[in-house]
Amino acid sequence: MSYPFTEDQQLIRKNARDFAQQYLEPLAVPLDKSGDFPAEAVRKMAEHDFLGWFLPAAYGGAEVGYLSYVLGVEELSRASAAVASIVVNHAAAAYAINRWGTAEQKQKYLPEMAKGRQLGAVAMAEPGPAVGEGPEAVVAAKQGDRFVLKGRKSYVANAGVADVYVVFACTDAAAGAKSMTAFVVDAKAAGLAVGPKKTTMGLRGRPTADVVFDNTPADVLGDGNGGAAIALELLAVTGVAEAAQTVGVVAAAVEHAAKYSQQRIQFGRPIGAFQAIQALLAEVATNCHVARLAVYDAANLIERGEPFTAEAAMVKIFAQRLGMKSLLDTMQVEAGYGYSEEMLMAKLFRDVSGTTILENPLDFPEKLVAASIA
Amino acid sequence: MVPETEGKVEKTMILTPQQQEIQRLAREFTEKNIIPVAGEYDRSGEFPEFIINKAKEAGLLDMAIPKQFGGRGLDAVTQGIVLEEIGYGCAAFATIIGVSILGFCPVMLAGTDEQKKFYLDPVVQGGLAAFALTEPGAGSDVGAAKTTARKEGNEYLLNGSKCFITSGGYAKVFTIFALTDPTKGVRGLSAFLVKAGQPGLIVAKHENKLGIRGSNTVELLIQDLRVPASQLLGKEGDGMKIAMGSLDITRPMIGAQSVGIAQRALDECLKYFQNKYPDPRKLGQAAQFRLAEMRIQTEAARQTVRHALAVRDAGLPYTVESAIAKTMGSDTAMRVATDALELLGAHGYSHDCVVEKLVRDAKIQQIYEGTNQVQRLVIAGQLMASIQPQAQAAKAGR
Repeated sequence: MSYPFTEDQQLIRKNARDFAQQYLEPLAVPLDKSGDFPAEAVRKMAEHDFLGWFLPAAYGGAEVGYLSYVLGVEELSRASAAVASIVVNHAAAAYAINRWGTAEQKQKYLPEMAKGRQLGAVAMAEPGPAVGEGPEAVVAAKQGDRFVLKGRKSYVANAGVADVYVVFACTDAAAGAKSMTAFVVDAKAAGLAVGPKKTTMGLRGRPTADVVFDNTPADVLGDGNGGAAIALELLAVTGVAEAAQTVGVVAAAVEHAAKYSQQRIQFGRPIGAFQAIQALLAEVATNCHVARLAVYDAANLIERGEPFTAEAAMVKIFAQRLGMKSLLDTMQVEAGYGYSEEMLMAKLFRDVSGTTILENPLDFPEKLVAASIA
Repeated sequence: MVPETEGKVEKTMILTPQQQEIQRLAREFTEKNIIPVAGEYDRSGEFPEFIINKAKEAGLLDMAIPKQFGGRGLDAVTQGIVLEEIGYGCAAFATIIGVSILGFCPVMLAGTDEQKKFYLDPVVQGGLAAFALTEPGAGSDVGAAKTTARKEGNEYLLNGSKCFITSGGYAKVFTIFALTDPTKGVRGLSAFLVKAGQPGLIVAKHENKLGIRGSNTVELLIQDLRVPASQLLGKEGDGMKIAMGSLDITRPMIGAQSVGIAQRALDECLKYFQNKYPDPRKLGQAAQFRLAEMRIQTEAARQTVRHALAVRDAGLPYTVESAIAKTMGSDTAMRVATDALELLGAHGYSHDCVVEKLVRDAKIQQIYEGTNQVQRLVIAGQLMASIQPQAQAAKAGR
């Protein structure tokens, strides 16, 4: 790959890779088995400034730019997509506060988040068909000069371990999604309850749970305008980081399968000598390469502050094609052994499926791409 | 699930009234006995012995055994219909039943009446059969087997090991493949009938799998296992032919249970959208088209599988149809299940929903009983055999 990385970007990647190999690789399988939150690994990542990668130095961040951040996420994900996912969800909340928060909010949260003393989460999806719809929709009601939230958010990543939630809620139940507003809510705020931890197919160790608000005081994020646009941008930038996670897992999987194909002998030669196996590996490696370039390009646009809506949507679309499909192929190379939970491939398969999930699967990113070329 | 009774006359023409009745019974059995507990067995990885006993009572274990040997003697199409229904509930259960059929196929194909009685009686009484072919170094490459059978007087002495043996820890009877002549590769392979509990047949490690977790998959150690010569199937060297003939029979059954997985994935999406939307018809076009695509794939796979089984029932050669049915069925199950996971998002990814299990269960269908690469080898092999080298074609005056 001839992508023109800066020295800083190369250094971030190397640091993340070294860390991932040293700390995350040994941890990844036990973490998958126990599903317990990897507090120690998160603490170590905080020491390495991984939790404030793109945050401004003024708030204690590493201020490395979005592309470097994405390179770091890819490397962490190679070793443990669950740990990378904790970082990505934390970073999404930090991104929102940094981008749209008031000076006061930034000062209050970002230094803590940059150093990992506080973890973030974003709460968007609801049990109903869309934000603001359905009997349990989260509704924000004005009480004096502040808001209180009531309702349920579902499948919130980092729920329970987060100290601060960025919550999207409607201020006018009748207006629905049009009145969507972003809020910042302290995890300790009155009336905030985290539901039982969900068991997920993969990404185990990254908590997922419902978050229920019962007259929970909430701060409007920034000036309170354009909640829907904020949600859209936040999903787009987070989607690029998630696609980097997908790329990381697929890269690990195709390496593993290629190695296996050299070692597994059938019909008197390594199965890697058969065209049918080469075709599987080449398909995965090709898609991974193309996806990686698209991810870097979108991250670069984000970093430079250029329009990225269509590119980020394309990345999200392509990551869905890459993820499960690739792992089904790499597992096919390893066949019965790949299917065993005692080998790595089964875990990688369960993990990759979690990296390509859409926040609202019925809100197809295709429409953003189509709009961009209309 | 399958709206076969909808639009009554047109859509029911394909199945006979008897087949429809058995389909109904299998569906009821699945709804009552399998669907409520499938998740539990998936999590624990325990063998569902209790349910298997119920399956025996319902006549599901001996459905493929001819009436003259005490079984139910169902035709292949009907067996496929039953396995589709069971697969709809849980592919682990379908695997247990389907692989038991694979276990007794060899004796059905090559056994004497005496051998059939010896082997099938335990199955008719409710036991499972196991098929022990795969070895650590011999998966697709059957000829790389290392398990040997040395003749000593009136018996054979078997030594070696087998892996990924379905129901190995619970089966009452085994068909074990071993080399009677290790110098000949696959041509030296022979098939032996062995009852469980013999000294020298040792059940070792149980495999912890990604999916079909309720099925039991073990390693078998074979150490000085003595098998009377009367339990050799056919003659020495017939093993490969018997193994491949057996797999030809059961591959469409994999296709059938795969169709069950696909149908379940589609139904789960519909169920979810019905609960999520006050008016599910508001679902966007992209999602609707995706659902339509899932339906198209599932229906195409179902008919492909039934066709292969019907070809067998008609007494025609079906090796290629069998390979096509297995490939088409399992690839469809995988595609439709992953589509469902993508459509259901975080809900589909969590244990709140069966879809993530369907994805895990679907994957093995592309792998076991001959990977889909092996199926393509079979299909391509037949295609290549149908075209001749140019020199030969010229000789033949073409």
